[in-house]
Amino acid sequence: MKKFLALILALVMAFSLIACGQKANQGGESTNTNTLSGTADETYVMNVFVSGVEYWFPVYAGMKDACKQLGVSCSYGGTTEYDAQAQVDSFEADLAKSPKGILISPIVEDAFVEPINRAISQGVAVVTYASDSPDSNRQAYVTSDNAHEGAIAARTICDAMGGTGSVMVLRNPGQDNHNRRCDAFISTVEAEYPNIKVVADVATNQNEQNGYDAVMATYQKYPDLGGVFCPEGVSIVGGAKAAKELGTGIRCLCVDTNDTLLDMLKEGDMFGLICPDQYMQGYLGMLSLFVAAHPEKVNPMNERKALNENIMGISIDNGLTIITKDTADYYYVAKYAQSIGYADVNDMLSAYKAG
Amino acid sequence: MNETQVKKSSPVLDFFKRLKNARETSLILIIVAICIVLSITNPYFAKWANIQTLLGSIAINGILTIGMIIVMISGGLDLSIGAVMCMSMAFSAKAITLGVPPILAILIGLVGAAVCGFVIGQIVTKLNLSHFIVTLCFMGIARGVVYVMTSGISISLVSNLKTMPTLAFIGSGYIGGTVPMSFVIFLALAIAADLYARKSSGMRKVYYTGSNEMAAKHSGIKINRVKVLACVACSVLAGIASVIYMSKYSGVSVSAGEGAEMTALSAAVIGGVSMNGGKGTVAGGLLGLLFIVLIQDAMNLFSVQAFWQDLIRYVIVLLAVILDVLQERARKKKNS
Repeated sequence: MKKFLALILALVMAFSLIACGQKANQGGESTNTNTLSGTADETYVMNVFVSGVEYWFPVYAGMKDACKQLGVSCSYGGTTEYDAQAQVDSFEADLAKSPKGILISPIVEDAFVEPINRAISQGVAVVTYASDSPDSNRQAYVTSDNAHEGAIAARTICDAMGGTGSVMVLRNPGQDNHNRRCDAFISTVEAEYPNIKVVADVATNQNEQNGYDAVMATYQKYPDLGGVFCPEGVSIVGGAKAAKELGTGIRCLCVDTNDTLLDMLKEGDMFGLICPDQYMQGYLGMLSLFVAAHPEKVNPMNERKALNENIMGISIDNGLTIITKDTADYYYVAKYAQSIGYADVNDMLSAYKAG
Repeated sequence: MNETQVKKSSPVLDFFKRLKNARETSLILIIVAICIVLSITNPYFAKWANIQTLLGSIAINGILTIGMIIVMISGGLDLSIGAVMCMSMAFSAKAITLGVPPILAILIGLVGAAVCGFVIGQIVTKLNLSHFIVTLCFMGIARGVVYVMTSGISISLVSNLKTMPTLAFIGSGYIGGTVPMSFVIFLALAIAADLYARKSSGMRKVYYTGSNEMAAKHSGIKINRVKVLACVACSVLAGIASVIYMSKYSGVSVSAGEGAEMTALSAAVIGGVSMNGGKGTVAGGLLGLLFIVLIQDAMNLFSVQAFWQDLIRYVIVLLAVILDVLQERARKKKNS
């Protein structure tokens, strides 16, 4: 009997030691990052508005690369429409699939406050990119600084004009990040170029014809019109066409790229294109999203982790590039997709399943 | 007595009487008033360069509006015209980039648009569905075809148009260096459509069908055929507009034509084309479009701040519609 009790005691002690050892090990893992990788069943979603627009494609390529490196799955989605309600619906549909995280570019700030907060309360990490919802509890925001884009555009155009003349803006009033670019453009011109006047700020609403008409009409009134800034790549096509017809050297610059704009740039019909680093936007967005979904992987020196709060609350600038005639060839999406190993753009946009 | 009868039937008097009773007259007066005010208040309005801009900017929407007017007279409406225009030009542009000769490429686009109109017409008539829902679906279908075809990437014709001067001239050329070619195409279509609408027996069938479908049917008109043809005509006109669009803007963006249906619809309604069918003229609808274009031009010339533009534009449009309706009521009351 004594021998039996001694054996039981020995076994209990042995199991206790093993258990303690394991606990010590787990403790070490939880306070240190070990490897930055997830599990194959973790899915992350990219949600966009007007999902057919090529701006998003390299962003998703960046997210997909990050997911491959992290060993997690991802998919591309959102709404094909330019409509806040449609995007909220698509976001909620994504949420219903219980992803680990959602990387979203919200069409308008306020419409997403409640949906994003609800997602986070359900344990789904949310990071915004390109456009933001600052009043929500989103865990990070990755963008090229819209104000910086507007300021760079103003300096690029105004310097080329020699610091005198008139400039105009083709605006899309419904989109927040576009408004920030336009406002920064105008304030930079006003602050830094006393001899250049912003003579028109026209709502062209992403329409070529409106862009054409606006530039033509403004030129009648201000023949010294030397520059046109547009925060998107549709109206500016019309604006550049008008500038070409007028033949007075009006410089057209926008924040966007697509095949037509790149061809126009190479032909000299466009003065410049400002391109946020889309790939890095997606790549850094995914890394942020992963960390937001796995706070146990990092040890920030603050109280947030202990209080179970968002550990980040950060904004990341993904940078921008001014595309020139010489560098335009790097920005054709179809060529880019093939250059990084995809058969075509559809292949690049396909879902990635880890494991 | 005979002298009085002769006086009453004088062509000049008849003309003025018709003009007085025409629904378009009030709109013409409003437009003339706007032009006078703009000419006085803005020194740039009456300049030829600005008029050239107006002419150029009316062409694409004008052709779309003609199509919308025809469908509306037949008792329907077409919300898919912007998307069908985009699809048609995507077909043509893709064909051009693949080396198809421009004329054949344009034909491909026009056939694509015509097929779209034919299918819309067939669904509307065979299944007795409303134009609203069918064309709303086709707005998405046509846009979806563009997305699938292009994978969301715009089709650039910048380099192709350099070797296709005739195609480039359609959208960007000026006849005699003064009148935009696109406007000449529009004007030719507008005159042809207006004369056809006023004089042809075919178009009278469209009016009968739109005003009273059952009565038209009992009087031997093949109303389904009329409706299908109206849909085909509307889509083909969207196809023609697409050629100008593609040429003018050197390619196709996937968002091309978004909102065009609302401009065409607003223009038609302002111009007195009835939403219930059977009423309206091509000239009236196009005057409605001219009114819209003038307001936008005025806002550009006066450098109205972006955030105010939609508010101002649509308040003025609403006031014009109200004024037009009130005048129409007064005219009817007086005539009765």
